[in-house]
Amino acid sequence: MRSRFSPASHTARVLVRRDFLSALKGWGLYVAAFVSLLASSFILRSHLGAIKENNILISSDPLNYPLFISLVVISFYLAIISVISISREKDQGTLEVLFYGPVNCSSYLAAKYIKDMLLYLVMVGFFFVYFGAVSGFTNLAFSWSLVKAIFLSIFLVSCIVSFGLFISSLTSRMRTSIIWLVGILLVFLAVQIFHTMLISLEEEALSSSLLYLRKTLEMVSHGIGWISPFSYLNRGMQSIAIGSTLLYGMSILYSLVYSFVLLVFSVLILEAKGVRG
Amino acid sequence: MKKSSLFFTLILALLLGLLVSRGLAQAPPIREQLVYSLSVFDGKTYTKGFAPRGEDTIYLIANENNAVSIRYTLVYFWPITARYMAGFKTLNEEVEGTLELLRDGKVIRSLEKEDNVVFYPEGYFAENSKMYLHEEAHAFLQKYEYATKEYYARIDEYYEKTREYREAFEEFLESIGERRKAGEELSRTQVEAQMPKQPSPPEGVRFYTTPVAKDYILNLPQGTYQTRLRARDGTIVQDSQKNLVAFVRRRGGTIGYEITPGNRWTMKESSNDPSKTIYASGKNTLYLRPFLQDEYNDLYYKKLLDPQNVGTSERWIWVHTTPIKNALLDLLSKGKLLERIERAPYYVKQIPGPELGYEILEYKEEEFPERSPSFEGHKLEVSSVSGRGKYDFRLEKGEGEVMDGSEREILFVRKENTNLLHIISIFPLIVGVVVFIQRKRRAS
Repeated sequence: MRSRFSPASHTARVLVRRDFLSALKGWGLYVAAFVSLLASSFILRSHLGAIKENNILISSDPLNYPLFISLVVISFYLAIISVISISREKDQGTLEVLFYGPVNCSSYLAAKYIKDMLLYLVMVGFFFVYFGAVSGFTNLAFSWSLVKAIFLSIFLVSCIVSFGLFISSLTSRMRTSIIWLVGILLVFLAVQIFHTMLISLEEEALSSSLLYLRKTLEMVSHGIGWISPFSYLNRGMQSIAIGSTLLYGMSILYSLVYSFVLLVFSVLILEAKGVRG
Repeated sequence: MKKSSLFFTLILALLLGLLVSRGLAQAPPIREQLVYSLSVFDGKTYTKGFAPRGEDTIYLIANENNAVSIRYTLVYFWPITARYMAGFKTLNEEVEGTLELLRDGKVIRSLEKEDNVVFYPEGYFAENSKMYLHEEAHAFLQKYEYATKEYYARIDEYYEKTREYREAFEEFLESIGERRKAGEELSRTQVEAQMPKQPSPPEGVRFYTTPVAKDYILNLPQGTYQTRLRARDGTIVQDSQKNLVAFVRRRGGTIGYEITPGNRWTMKESSNDPSKTIYASGKNTLYLRPFLQDEYNDLYYKKLLDPQNVGTSERWIWVHTTPIKNALLDLLSKGKLLERIERAPYYVKQIPGPELGYEILEYKEEEFPERSPSFEGHKLEVSSVSGRGKYDFRLEKGEGEVMDGSEREILFVRKENTNLLHIISIFPLIVGVVVFIQRKRRAS
């Protein structure tokens, strides 16, 4: 156990530096950041339009919703690069070569995880610059709540990265990994939509078959609420909207536990399947 | 693959079909149910409602009188509002017995019905009311009945005086006509001075008291209880068991504002938290009504208003309780006092025509006879130019005494910079270009 989860710090550091710099030199991060901030800009534009139309808006954190939209977009990007990272190296045989050296599963996965988190920290920098500029140009307050939301987003993104790495450890081909990731996320989404649709109707309005379906979806949805990384994102943002310190703290704790559990599972699966698996 | 997607589509269509056909084809089933009829204190007044069989918990504000009765009625589900409705007009059969209150399975109180009234000191549609019990209830009802009797007596007197006035006025017109015919010259002022005075209608009864009702009165300390009805024969009435939650406010006595924008007075906003900023655009007229407010748990409070409501137990909401009437509103810009604004009555005048507009005018009794003001508030006129984008306001009571928690900030958004938002979002690409150029340079 000790050797399996040992830090293997030097190797991990080399891997992190190599992958992180490679990602920084590519266009992916910048394009994803641009798309996510552009999505925020559209939201902000309609927000300002609403203030103009309604005369007033009372809010403590008008920039939090645009941040949430940006987070969803950037999360998709990070989930995809997490899922690609291992399976591509498996696919190309790089992983096998790496494992002839002083690399083990835990150090390898830790390096991938840290690299993705560092990429997100770059994104956090972009968020601060972007929302600071937005606040300066529009007079919408850069509130303490926004800072809290950005800080919390680090933990929520950690869930998404771990989820991507977990899916990646399960599959051996890059294309399969992406199909699995997209498929699972779509299933999560479909369950969420159907469940929301059915719980909005009272029992009296439903036939017995639909009642059974609703009960089943209720259970599935409850389970998915703990599996889907986007549920953590949703819960975290809600805790800020509600202003509950307890839920905020719980959100961080749950995210850390979720990430840790998925990373441990990923290590175990990778070890069990081997570098060619 | 094609077969499976076809199968999935068919299943989905079947499910949606079932859903739609159930919703459209059937009339809502009506069932006789034992329900709790409620008249509960919501922090400022009494709200009526009922708890159907499906709602197993009743929520009440602790240490306040709340009236409860148990009745058989017809209950049906109304899909449009997704709520159970009670047909009290068709069936309203009160169940007699003793209401038992339990805590941890032990009966702590057995309640019999008590006489009660709800007293509205500023009229039925005003914001506050209070419940009175026993002799006090009868006394308040008598006070109202006496005031109403007095009012009707004054009305009779007014009609009599009006009849006398009309007769006197006709006589006066005749005498003026005769005097003019006789060659007497009378100025308008002289005619007006001799004209009989029209009597004014008497002022109505401002307060209201409900008729005396007999209900179980629940006034409980904070906590969780159970309740059930024991019939006269000693048995527990079926479906009468409910849980009771008596809750208290988390914070109280702070100041909240109801804000009415001048251009849409029906769409009111609330500013209950000093940490929340009021964002505005262009030139604005805002009418502010300050209130004392209490903070309650969202779930508990919404369930108190209607047991069928849904709420979030982690959320807290502010409830405006008592209007603050004797205070001045200070408008400041950069810490400098610009204006002290008094509370004034306003009248919303509908503008006839196809545009369905209105204007808000300062209410003066002589300009709007026999009409009441639409609302009272502090009129705040602000614009992005004079305040340079930022204002503050607060309430002042007495001489320079600022009321705690009354401070708010108004920020004017710069909508002219809206187009810059898309340009700002390009900056990660600029960073990418810089990285790319540096990489190229190093490579060369």
